[in-house]
Amino acid sequence: MESPLHHFEVHNVITIPPIAGLDISINNAVVAMWVGLAIVAGSFILAVSRGISPIPGKLQSILEISLEFIRSMVYEFIGEEEGKRYVPFITSLFLFILACNLIGLIPGSYTITSQLAVTAAFAVGIFFLTLVIGFGKHGMHFLGILVPPGVPKIMIPLMVPIEIISMLARPISLAVRLFANMTAGHTVLAVLFGLAMTGPLWLGWLPFGFTIVINGLEIAIAFIQAYIFTTLTCVYIGDVIKLH
Amino acid sequence: MPQFEQVSVFGSLIFWSVISFGILFFVLKKFAFPPILEALEMREKKIRDDIEDSERLKNEAQKIKVELEETLKAAHGKAETIIQLAHDESKKAQEKSLQETEAKVRQIQKDAEQEVLNSRSKLLQEVRNYAAALTIASTEKFLKKALDDNDKKKLVEESIEQVVKELEKRQRN
Repeated sequence: MESPLHHFEVHNVITIPPIAGLDISINNAVVAMWVGLAIVAGSFILAVSRGISPIPGKLQSILEISLEFIRSMVYEFIGEEEGKRYVPFITSLFLFILACNLIGLIPGSYTITSQLAVTAAFAVGIFFLTLVIGFGKHGMHFLGILVPPGVPKIMIPLMVPIEIISMLARPISLAVRLFANMTAGHTVLAVLFGLAMTGPLWLGWLPFGFTIVINGLEIAIAFIQAYIFTTLTCVYIGDVIKLH
Repeated sequence: MPQFEQVSVFGSLIFWSVISFGILFFVLKKFAFPPILEALEMREKKIRDDIEDSERLKNEAQKIKVELEETLKAAHGKAETIIQLAHDESKKAQEKSLQETEAKVRQIQKDAEQEVLNSRSKLLQEVRNYAAALTIASTEKFLKKALDDNDKKKLVEESIEQVVKELEKRQRN
């Protein structure tokens, strides 16, 4: 039986010579991601090129619902006035993660969000973005975020390191949560499918049936994880804007 | 786990995912989101305006309804007053007409009574004349003697009185 982790391996599709020591060869994970993103971007461009109607069609309705869903989430955590400028970024982030999560469920495809390097890059990027927003909005007062309101002065030397650890844990948890969920789901699917393929027919249908159920579950998880990632991004941005 | 073992692809994965996200963000922000967000906001505004309009129209309709009810009530009151006035007027006219008719009847009755009295007097005079002539003639014949004018007259008056009394007596009976 093939290793259930085998399908997490990345293979180069187009090899590009390293630029400044950085290997940017196009691999199967990147191709799968591009397919997902092409569907997302293509849907939006198709809907817009058809013309946005006051009475929406099916495609426009789906896109409007997704946009409205994210917009209301942004307004809830960041506030309407401040949140308006972040709606495009947060929506793009949600659609990016959702497309990557979902495209990986197609057999033979790849989930780029099951790569910790990718989720960590986004999580760290968001972490630095929150720092930029925080310092940009509050200047040095932003450091006040390390002191929760109502803490006695004597406790500050203890609270500041705790808050720093808490802040640093945010990108780690953000990255690991998405990576672990995607990896676990696909591993379970691979194990069940491996069992179905290797077992005798009279027994093999059982794990195969489970793969169908788990696939349904994975679709839900793909949505939930994209939602959690973007919700936490909103919460972190909201925190640095409101300072507690 | 391949995700930790294939370190050499990290650069490529991070590079392309960040670049791809950047392009997606740019494309959507530049071309897709503005018209959709605008449409959403316009629809929200339209719905809000429509609701406000309907609220306003509802209030106006309520106001008009109250006014109409008041007008209707006033019209009912006016109609009742007019009916009452007409009723009173007709009653008055009826009473006047009745009084006039009664007066007319009374006048006719009075005229009739007067005529009866006149006829009676005339008749009595005729009877008296006739009786006088009859009495003179029969008395002359009966006595076979001529009387002077004074005796005639006296006798006639006595006869007439007697006849009148007799007639009145009969009439009473």
